[in-house]
Amino acid sequence: MFRDIAEWLANSPAREFSAGLLSSIPGLPPILQTVHLLSIVAIMASIVLIDLRILGLAVPSQQLDEMIVRLRAWTVWGVIGAIISGILFVLARPNRYLLNPVFQIKFILLIGVLILTVCFYRWSAKNPFSHEPGNNIGIAKGVAVVSLLMWIVVVMAGRWIAYSEYLFWPG
Amino acid sequence: MLNEFFLWLEYLPLAQHIGATWWFPLMESLHVVSMTLMLGTILMVDLRILGFAANRYAISTMSSELVPWSAVSLTIASVTGVAMFITRASTHAVNPALQIKMLLMVLAAINIVTVHCYVFRGVVNWDAGKVAPFSARFSAGCSLGLWVGVFLAGRWIGHIV
Repeated sequence: MFRDIAEWLANSPAREFSAGLLSSIPGLPPILQTVHLLSIVAIMASIVLIDLRILGLAVPSQQLDEMIVRLRAWTVWGVIGAIISGILFVLARPNRYLLNPVFQIKFILLIGVLILTVCFYRWSAKNPFSHEPGNNIGIAKGVAVVSLLMWIVVVMAGRWIAYSEYLFWPG
Repeated sequence: MLNEFFLWLEYLPLAQHIGATWWFPLMESLHVVSMTLMLGTILMVDLRILGFAANRYAISTMSSELVPWSAVSLTIASVTGVAMFITRASTHAVNPALQIKMLLMVLAAINIVTVHCYVFRGVVNWDAGKVAPFSARFSAGCSLGLWVGVFLAGRWIGHIV
């Protein structure tokens, strides 16, 4: 699947456009990478902090239902910002990314954790923690551990794309 | 003299080991996780001081619950940052992006000391209010601007080497 998409992208005008943009505007690559990092900051300050709050590790004074509503926009914009700032690099060099096993793992985990996050937001809106804290918090703690680990691996995997040969020696 | 010190760092067995193995990407990825968590927690406190977010909570509560996370993350980011620096210390030391990053971090540190020694002194008077005094809002704005600059300069290091 990744191979087909890479081949299709490699021959698309989007590749030429992205590669041209990244090489012609001085400083664009580090600026976009910084936008990518700042988008991760927004994800850390929203979803990751909510996970830590659920696990009882951070911000005990903040009320969980209120936090979830207040920080939702941060998660949404963080994810949008990260996708926009990351996609140009993938489009410019589709083979380098899509055929890289670390990128593939990152991509699949990212889709997984995004689905988990959407489900968690919908579920917590229907089952406020302030109403029946006893039942909900057990499920929420399980989700929080999985979400926390997945986000950390996704963020770390981003850096490992450039070093995948340490993990997956070709041939 | 200084250059000899940087070369000495480079030839440390630890520096050689980090530079030649999977330790380097491990340090780099932990650097990213810790620094984003650090700025995430700093961002929340700064936006509260600026009156843009979480105004229902007192500034001192936000600060006392989030600053420990910023401090621990900053420590991890510093250790992993030094671990990467020593692998090519003499080259990195003359990298303008790294020099700018260090300058911005010194300014951010001065800002932090100023906030905690002077600005936060009278916090009980404006703790729960939406509008903090100008000095506090100014420091919070500087903090955000400086840390974004640190991120940009830090990311630029690898584009110059």
